[in-house]
Amino acid sequence: MSDQLVPVSEIQSADDNVPRWGMAIDLDRCTGCEACVVACHVENNIPIATEDDAAMGRSSHWIRIDRYYEGTFPDIKVKYRPVLCQQCDDAPCEPVCPVYATYQNAEGLNVQVYNRCVGTRYCANNCPYQVRVFNWFDPEWPEPLDLQLNPDVSIRPGGVMEKCTFCVQRIQRGKLDAQAEGRKVEDGDIQPACVQGCPAEAMAFGDLTDPESKVSQWAGVGRSTQLLGELGTKPKVFYLEKSD
Amino acid sequence: MLAPPRPRLSWSRLLEVSLSVVAGGLLWGQQQPIEFPHDKHVAAGVDCIDCHSGADIRSAATIPSINKCMLCHGRVANEGPGVKLLLEYWNQKREVPWQRVYGFERAANVRFRHAPHIRAKIECSACHGNVAAMTVAQKAVVHTMGTCVRCHRQTQASDDCAVCHF
Repeated sequence: MSDQLVPVSEIQSADDNVPRWGMAIDLDRCTGCEACVVACHVENNIPIATEDDAAMGRSSHWIRIDRYYEGTFPDIKVKYRPVLCQQCDDAPCEPVCPVYATYQNAEGLNVQVYNRCVGTRYCANNCPYQVRVFNWFDPEWPEPLDLQLNPDVSIRPGGVMEKCTFCVQRIQRGKLDAQAEGRKVEDGDIQPACVQGCPAEAMAFGDLTDPESKVSQWAGVGRSTQLLGELGTKPKVFYLEKSD
Repeated sequence: MLAPPRPRLSWSRLLEVSLSVVAGGLLWGQQQPIEFPHDKHVAAGVDCIDCHSGADIRSAATIPSINKCMLCHGRVANEGPGVKLLLEYWNQKREVPWQRVYGFERAANVRFRHAPHIRAKIECSACHGNVAAMTVAQKAVVHTMGTCVRCHRQTQASDDCAVCHF
């Protein structure tokens, strides 16, 4: 690990009672099936780009699977890496926004405020992970697909930037449900759609400040790394590299 | 080179906007299929959440279905002109097409949840005005972001953007 990588044990919240959400992804378990991508689209009302739009680089995924090929045929190895917003603690997307539409909240989420966004796209250009997507047009769902829209998530209009929220609607609901039952949020109560949808259980989500949480346990193992961590972005998504 | 974006202003869009303005005017002018007297129901001891039963447990307070109306009106108070209309809908096996009075516009990107507000003991009238004194429900309180934020700050609820806008 280089000096700029932040081990999970050093991640702290300003307040002890405030969680710091993070994710760990075990690349040994990931089969590249893209169930996370589908789950994310369904949960977050993400429009599906046409073939033409995709060819112009306008496909909108909040999570994608990067493929890496190693070796030459027939001795070839494929590595899959789900890439979503890394919810950086030092996020390059935040300081470039002229209208403060993207900021870091107390729980460590890089929040995108849709109705503040004026669509300069500076943030997407400054993101080293290329995980921000711009709505070039008002999204359309042909009938009857409009009936499957998730009422818990707003529909972003054209001209607005959007990105992975760690399923903030599920985080808010998890907190409210716990509050209604008069208890604290427990590890595993909150699962983003991608984590829930992963058939290989390759993803873990939770509070990084809780050393007992599944995500902290995973992120603390020896093969845990951060994507482009050497840039000093302090990502809160940890990748457990493939053990050969 | 990327193709220039398709124009976003069109006649259909303008029509849509003007229609929504007219529809908004109708909401303010409370064109309801039946002149529902909130005051009579409250005076009879019916609580808000007896009919708007999602309010304390769900996101949406919900507008009651005709089944709920008929739970009472099938037995009691089935004489008045309004109730006659209700019975007509019931006999035709149709829902009453109630018009929503409150609601955030789509562009606000607000996901409002009633339940936590009821749990925090916020009176319904804080956001909906004194409905108990109204006949047909009117939009007595205009909901702006200022309305929400002021109350959130006073009650020390979170004023983080991501609490409402997502």
